Amino acid sequence: MKLDVEKLKGILGEKNVSDSPADLYVYSSDASVHQAKPSVVIRPKTIDDVQQVMRYANKNKIPVVPRGAGSGTSGHAVPIDGGIVMDLKRMNQILEIRPEDMLVKVEPGVVDDDLNRALQPYGLFYPPAPASSRIATIGGEIATNASGVRSVKYGATRDCVMGMKVVLANGDLVNLGSNTRVHSSGYQLERLIVGSEGTLGVVVEATMKIIPLPKYRCLAVADFKKLEDAGAAITDIISSGSQPSLLELMDGIGIVAVNKALDLGLPEVGAIILFEADGNVKEAVDYEMQKMKNICEKHHGYGIEMSYDAKERQRLFGGRKKLFASLSMYKEGIVCTDLADDMGVPTSKIAETAKKIHEIAKKHNVIMAVYGHCGSGVIHTKIMFDVKKHSQWDEAEDVVNELYDYVHSVGGVTSAEHGIGLSKAPAWKKARKDILPMMKAIKMALDPNNILNPHKLMDAPDNWVKSTNLRYRVMS
Amino acid sequence: MSAKSPVKKTTSAKNESFKRLQKWEGEFNKCIRCGYCYELCPIFKSFNWESSTPRGKLLLLYGLLSDEVKPSADIAEKIFECFYCENCTSNCSAGVPITDILTDARKDFIDASFDVDGTTVTIDEDRCSACGMCISVCKSEALSFVENELGERKVDVNKADCKGCGLCISTCPSGVPYQKEGFGVTTDELETQITNFLNTNDKKIIVFCCNWSIFPGLQMSESPTLINTSYGVIVTMCVSRVTPELVLHAFKEGAWGVMVAGCPAGECEHDGNYKARRRLLLLKNLLTQLNIESERLRMGWFSRGESVKLKQAMDDFVDDIEKLGPIKYLSMISYW
Repeated sequence: MKLDVEKLKGILGEKNVSDSPADLYVYSSDASVHQAKPSVVIRPKTIDDVQQVMRYANKNKIPVVPRGAGSGTSGHAVPIDGGIVMDLKRMNQILEIRPEDMLVKVEPGVVDDDLNRALQPYGLFYPPAPASSRIATIGGEIATNASGVRSVKYGATRDCVMGMKVVLANGDLVNLGSNTRVHSSGYQLERLIVGSEGTLGVVVEATMKIIPLPKYRCLAVADFKKLEDAGAAITDIISSGSQPSLLELMDGIGIVAVNKALDLGLPEVGAIILFEADGNVKEAVDYEMQKMKNICEKHHGYGIEMSYDAKERQRLFGGRKKLFASLSMYKEGIVCTDLADDMGVPTSKIAETAKKIHEIAKKHNVIMAVYGHCGSGVIHTKIMFDVKKHSQWDEAEDVVNELYDYVHSVGGVTSAEHGIGLSKAPAWKKARKDILPMMKAIKMALDPNNILNPHKLMDAPDNWVKSTNLRYRVMS
Repeated sequence: MSAKSPVKKTTSAKNESFKRLQKWEGEFNKCIRCGYCYELCPIFKSFNWESSTPRGKLLLLYGLLSDEVKPSADIAEKIFECFYCENCTSNCSAGVPITDILTDARKDFIDASFDVDGTTVTIDEDRCSACGMCISVCKSEALSFVENELGERKVDVNKADCKGCGLCISTCPSGVPYQKEGFGVTTDELETQITNFLNTNDKKIIVFCCNWSIFPGLQMSESPTLINTSYGVIVTMCVSRVTPELVLHAFKEGAWGVMVAGCPAGECEHDGNYKARRRLLLLKNLLTQLNIESERLRMGWFSRGESVKLKQAMDDFVDDIEKLGPIKYLSMISYW
């Protein structure tokens, strides 16, 4: 690998290239547990910038790791082979809002919430809504096929992608997909890029579907003494044909943590469910809400609070939105880590999986919170332990293995919305041996020099603890 | 893939120069690097580099403690770049006391003989008469009189305590204290922002918003939006930074109206709202003498979270100013 920083400065300008020790260290990690320093950090502004850099990197076989907000939890943006980290946050223009076609065209660095603020005056919104929407970029959301609380009704990023411009490993620019709601014109390559975690190309422009904001949104919270009851209620709501626009679960550990962090004073019960319906006809929303309320009550849900008011909804939802970060407040001395954090299971298995997670945690002497967009089958867990103790990492590794064995045995998936990256690769590779050759062939065809985010997904190391640096200082 | 060491193993913090930081080690681990801290960080918005985010700064300090990063002027500069708006700390659900940690880091860097500026003020000693007006307005007590080797009185800045509010800058009659450019807070930078907005937009209304109080609330709230507003919102570090010269510059460049939005009485950490109010009331009188309707300059006071009230006030102001139209006798102001 021959890296000429001056050459990159010539392409992008002095101010947009850095190899200072401070910048290299800071760009060595994202929100995952991994850490590895790049050789240089660059900030392109235009498609031409990206193309020139890719041509240079391809010729010299230098790894390039595209990066958005760095909020990924699986290590996608950690450059474990060094090379170039390409920070795309400067490409942050909303290029077109076309209400007549119900689409937007954006650069990859546009922040999800900024896009929604821009769409609001048009009475429109962009629905995936990951919890990190306040900083998450559209490029990063495409790379991981991100989704969030509204996925139960509106789907994930993949469901919103109509087309995109992508710079390939050799610097070529391709225009994938279309401006139409559907197309049947060859391979749906734009969908191949979604979830590819920066391994197939750099998304430099995206055309996304947008939808009208509903006139009414009603959110409710129901308390449950037992986590299993809450899980069973979720399964029932989905199978009853209800159409929630949000259906979230949070267990007792999560409740304690948000109470500590945000002083919310939530009743510390076994679990809570948040459910929401939206629409343009109030009676229809009322009907859905009543139906879901009845199901919760049938499963011993109680203390149900319900509101149409925006501020009140924000209050009810506040704890869930900030849960991820709050978990570090659960108990002094333990830290919230992102390992096995977003498995997907069939909705009929929610209660069973939630129970199993707590059993595994108990067995291995770690604390695990269970929450997530359970209406879509997404279960988030955070493994909380003393990261300074080496033995606790060994336990965490066992927890991850056991948990994924279970999830895969009930027909679930390794990652529902955060992506595979480094942390989840061993379990995912073990479960999906059949598709690895096909994925490797696609990667080889598009990136023969293996420069785009190398050693992630199917090429990631088999043991994340032993093969990557952890960002914590672990005492013996 | 290059060979990796198994797990980062250390038995104790090696960098002994950074003693104050060592007590924060547990807090560094608590940070899950979600990045919510930089959503409203004015420093990040100025530079857009990860190393300018509160998360990035914590990471650098963690690196210093574990000896993975060597202390340097480059890193010290980053640590001293903070306006203490504390949006990061209040946005951190993991409860990491980010600004307290950064303050201790500043002290450690000073003890290690690093002399950098960041967002702190510097005194231009050649022009300073040591009148002490700046000292009297500094609520952070970062300014004090000291004697130099000749026994002369001069003003000294304690860089660990300076929060970069700039009240001293807007108070000094001789323009002695100054801040580095690059953060969008100097008069020159604010004037450029005003000129650029007025040159590129049909609408001719400028709203100055205090970054400490309402602007974050406005940005985060669900209902109002900053996009497609019929005015330019210019964020200041404290409303006291809106000097009469800045308002006159806006009128000179063609603004039809200027609104200044700051914290209500008793809520400004720097007492900058009182000072701004006094100054702008005098300016209103001056505007009348210049044949400019004084209602073209409006002040409003809003607490954090009162974004709906602020949005309404802005809309009302725009309606009123549109009725007035452009300034009729601008020639008077151009002599200013």
